[in-house]
Amino acid sequence: MPDRKVCIIGGGMSKWGVREASIVDMTQEAAKDCFDDVPALKRADVDGLLFASSYCGRRSFQVNAAPVMAERIGLKPTSICTRVDTLCAGGSSGIILATGLIRSGMADIVMIAGGEKLYTPQRWETYYSELASIDHDWDGAQGIGLPPPFFSMTAQEHMKRYGTTKEQLSAVSVKNRRNGATNPKGHFQKAVTMEEVMAARPIAPPLGLFDCTPVTDGCAAVLLTHEDKAKELSDRPLVYIRGTAQATLHSMSMNWPGEHLADWLHLRTAAKKVYERARVGPGDIDVAQTHDCFTISEIIEMEDLGFCKKGEGGHFVESGQSDFGGEVPVNTDGGLLSCGHPFGATGIRQAREMLHQLQGRAIKQVEGAKIGLTHNLSGLNVEHTILIYGREP
Amino acid sequence: MSVLGVPILEGLYPSTMDLYPLEAKEFNRIHPFYENLRQKRFTTTKCKKCGSEPFPPRVVCPKCNSDDLEWVDLPTEGKVLRFTEEVAGVPLGFESPLIHALVDLGGGRKLISRVVNCKEGELKEGAAVKLAVFDIPPMIIEKKGVMAEAERVFFAFEPVKK
Ligand SMILES: [Zn+2]
Repeated sequence: MPDRKVCIIGGGMSKWGVREASIVDMTQEAAKDCFDDVPALKRADVDGLLFASSYCGRRSFQVNAAPVMAERIGLKPTSICTRVDTLCAGGSSGIILATGLIRSGMADIVMIAGGEKLYTPQRWETYYSELASIDHDWDGAQGIGLPPPFFSMTAQEHMKRYGTTKEQLSAVSVKNRRNGATNPKGHFQKAVTMEEVMAARPIAPPLGLFDCTPVTDGCAAVLLTHEDKAKELSDRPLVYIRGTAQATLHSMSMNWPGEHLADWLHLRTAAKKVYERARVGPGDIDVAQTHDCFTISEIIEMEDLGFCKKGEGGHFVESGQSDFGGEVPVNTDGGLLSCGHPFGATGIRQAREMLHQLQGRAIKQVEGAKIGLTHNLSGLNVEHTILIYGREP
Repeated sequence: MSVLGVPILEGLYPSTMDLYPLEAKEFNRIHPFYENLRQKRFTTTKCKKCGSEPFPPRVVCPKCNSDDLEWVDLPTEGKVLRFTEEVAGVPLGFESPLIHALVDLGGGRKLISRVVNCKEGELKEGAAVKLAVFDIPPMIIEKKGVMAEAERVFFAFEPVKK
């Protein structure tokens, strides 16, 4: 069996936001942008499609979406054509699966596309459908829905235990909205001030409007292939997938794996594995895209990814260590807080930004970035997914 | 030709839009949990072979693979560790503020539950809460072409009034 090195060679996005478009429309837009990024590649050469979407079944009344998307994009896959659903991590799951297929020789050139049409014609259905995102019979029936209440309690835990402040939470939002202000594909192109974030209307205190990612429509697509084909298709620097990990230790609100809600054992478990597989440590990461579904999430991720000590995530962000010029710039394209979060597309958006960073062509470039990390948490914080990319395999 | 309407607009029950579990025995092997709830009991399954008591209830023991399980009672009183009052984005079917708490039931069991019969600002960390059982809308089951209502209950926790 071959053991090929796997590269990401191109990426694209539809415009993200409140879109007057269907998921089928937006998938075509993302795929077009992705093919425009790799002009030498013909659609006929793509032998695999992984389509990451959680809500196409519910909000677009379309299950088995992969063949529909393949047909609309104009692909005729012969190695793999299937849908992937890991909610917020679906895109990253698709990239992990494609990496395995290409590495082993079971596929050669795979498109990972994905996204969501979350806005329904009536707004109640948009929120109501979120009850399907978690353990339906136990957590959904408790009205936990998508998890502002859960992350509110997580934020309180972190504040009481480690002295984290609302200003430190807000600093995450200010940084990511500033990073996203120049990203034309994201949901927002508007920076916010500390005063605006602190004074915003409450959602689930201490979390206010700017502490939460918005509800967003959008799709994204990337292309993966093996090293030899990547060299043939593009003169750009090669960007390799160096390591991947995905850890899930529980699936419902009763069986939280950590000591307390701000202790993310499943994230540390995934981090340990991905660093081993990529043969790097947290100090080697030049740039990261981590899952800032809520401001508190990014703070805890800094700790449990090993960028700073446990309990110091708030200070790490506030002192600029996760900003340009700091220890490790995080969410350089605006993250979820500025780009929005059409679940299946988010990991793909992160991969595209990482491709741009490591090839030196990002809108907000981290100078000389050679190794990058992307991270998703999914559902009611039930799963952590991490990929490490590098200019060297 | 005649054009038929969208079925749910004709008053049919769509179970895929039902936020509560399909509790009836025709659709659910852990229906005794809900029957016990009706008796104000909070229960789960215990493995007769290895003794593990996971929650939520199972039909197969996730530890030893046995399917020889029995129903046992869990505590119905607990202590609030953390709580949250959601004021925006509350799903249809719930009222704002939607209050949730991380409840310590003792013995290493913690769960996140909705807190009912409680006003905004009333709950405190460390407060005692107890199981609250209430009626929810029935699910509608088609039996030989006839629509029958299957009554249901569900649970939350509520403050223990002093
Ligand atoms: Zn057992």
